[in-house]
Amino acid sequence: MTPKRMTPKRVGDLLDGIECLKHPCDLDLLLFFYRHPRAFLISERLAAYVGYDLPQVTHSLETLITGGVLRRSPDSTHPARLYVLTPGSTLGGLLSSLLRFAATREGRLAVIHALKQRHSLGRSGDGGPEPVASARATPRRREVPNA
Amino acid sequence: MREPDLVKTGIKGLDEVLLGGIPRGNIILVAGTAGTGKTTLGVEFVYRGAHQFNEPGVILLFEVAPDKLLRDAALFGWDLRELERDRRLKIVFTTRQVFQQELQQADSVLLAEAAEFGARRIFVDGLVRPPEPHGGDRREAFHLLAEGLHRENLTAMLALESTFDDTAAARAPEEFVADTILRLSIDPVQRAVLRSVEVVKSRGHEYALGRHSFRIVNGQGLEVYRRVQAPRSLQREGGAAFDPTSRVTTGIPGLDEMVNGGYFVASTTLVVGISGAGKSVMALQFIAEGARRGERSLMITLDEPPAQVLRNAHTIGIDLQSAIDKGLVHLWYEPPQEFEVDRHFAQIEAVVEDFKPKRAVIDSLSTYGSALGASERNFRDFFHAIVALMKERQVTAVYNHENPEMLGMSSMMGEFKVSSLVDNIILMNWVELGDTFRHALTVAKMRAMPTSRTTHECEIVNGRGMRVLPRPLAGAVPVVPFAGYLGLISRAPERRAPQEVPEAP
Repeated sequence: MTPKRMTPKRVGDLLDGIECLKHPCDLDLLLFFYRHPRAFLISERLAAYVGYDLPQVTHSLETLITGGVLRRSPDSTHPARLYVLTPGSTLGGLLSSLLRFAATREGRLAVIHALKQRHSLGRSGDGGPEPVASARATPRRREVPNA
Repeated sequence: MREPDLVKTGIKGLDEVLLGGIPRGNIILVAGTAGTGKTTLGVEFVYRGAHQFNEPGVILLFEVAPDKLLRDAALFGWDLRELERDRRLKIVFTTRQVFQQELQQADSVLLAEAAEFGARRIFVDGLVRPPEPHGGDRREAFHLLAEGLHRENLTAMLALESTFDDTAAARAPEEFVADTILRLSIDPVQRAVLRSVEVVKSRGHEYALGRHSFRIVNGQGLEVYRRVQAPRSLQREGGAAFDPTSRVTTGIPGLDEMVNGGYFVASTTLVVGISGAGKSVMALQFIAEGARRGERSLMITLDEPPAQVLRNAHTIGIDLQSAIDKGLVHLWYEPPQEFEVDRHFAQIEAVVEDFKPKRAVIDSLSTYGSALGASERNFRDFFHAIVALMKERQVTAVYNHENPEMLGMSSMMGEFKVSSLVDNIILMNWVELGDTFRHALTVAKMRAMPTSRTTHECEIVNGRGMRVLPRPLAGAVPVVPFAGYLGLISRAPERRAPQEVPEAP
């Protein structure tokens, strides 16, 4: 199946396999790191790039790191952290397939739709501070000073 | 004296301009406006380091997404993903402010990341001149950045965006702090554009001054062509190996006698005349004569494509294709549109270096003049460089030059003032006698050789080519030989009185 076309069932199967994806912000962060596999940024800047509130971004980052798809440099005296996507994680091909599909506008919206559906059906766990159903499909941009 | 430890850029032609490379640890500033090629140069610097010189590298991006960089690099054949997989490259996306602050940290995560896999090179793309921070010193801020990079013993290349032209950029404070400055430009030339790179300064070594042309070539990357005028390393060792009195036959029956047996080896001969006077025929016979003697011969044609040259050769009985197939003749065609002098000269250098010809023809010099502008010094400098190259390589060279005058010549070179650079000049003329234009040939200059400077008639015959006719032409009645005239190329020739006609020897 080409990454550009995927059935809702296949999307659901992928999300089942990648358990750490629960909230649209998780997906958008992953997509950001897919395009920027090694990013050295402060979290406020990351929030501005993906267009979610800082608490949600912080929560999603923790989710992705715990899920083993993202690595973060240890705390230092500087607020910026190095984030490295770990495509070679145990999730392997599932993650690559999902990201290739979600890299298109239609694909991303389809995955977000699936996440919302799963949330309404109660199949996912804690999505974070912002309810999944109210999460914006189109990120809003926010300027962060000093970033 | 200790030789400097030079970092080779690996970029085609650039290390020659840098006379070997850039001293290790130098902070290199690449300045230029948008579209001048800063990112390509910087990425290639890191790519070549990791791929060719086993020097891992880091690329730092502020605005360009890494996936786009990977995509663009692939157009040049650079597989950055593979280098990342092999832990020879890391591409880090960050912000300018984070980068600036990070370099001032004793426990910099960024530099630790670079050190972790033994990075030796770093390219930082997209530095901009920041506004003066609270009245602070921009030069000081850049100095702090340079110190941070230097601490890690990284050879750093920083792309600095200019939003205005060179003159203002030259005074940017960053340029005083940087060890090496490469300024990239893109200038309009008529309706085309010409890219150039200038080494403005480079501490710790010598380099070739001036602006050198470059191209960005798909599947390759940057190709830098050293400025034609820049001095080359003189390789005179061949000078002792040849006899300066040796001669090279011209291939034109009758002409060798007029030039004392042939042109001197490594001499420069200019054949001047209007279109159709026989210059290209002479050139083909010169090349064919070389091939006949087993000498490698190079023909550079600017006016006619190879198929046409081969056809022309065939009409005068020369099987040029066969000589090419045997590796005795190299026919190289360069169309004169959008001519780039540095690049063209670099190509000639490469051909001469590889093919090692004994003879060479350039047909024609006038096309260079049209492309470079005869009134400018460029043409003379270019020709001077070609002549020097051919002499260094012991190549006997013939250059055709079209003189626009139909009959006679008020000046041998027209507006191209290069006659002092050549050893021999042969004038090809039309002479109108009765109702017929006839070919005339005069040896006007032979350096270090006596010459009679008499004008001879010549003929070009299908299947046989050109020959100089004997003078006087015995039994040519009713055609009067040239010897029967006075002032053949003065536009108004006169018949001699019968008693004045010289007798045959």
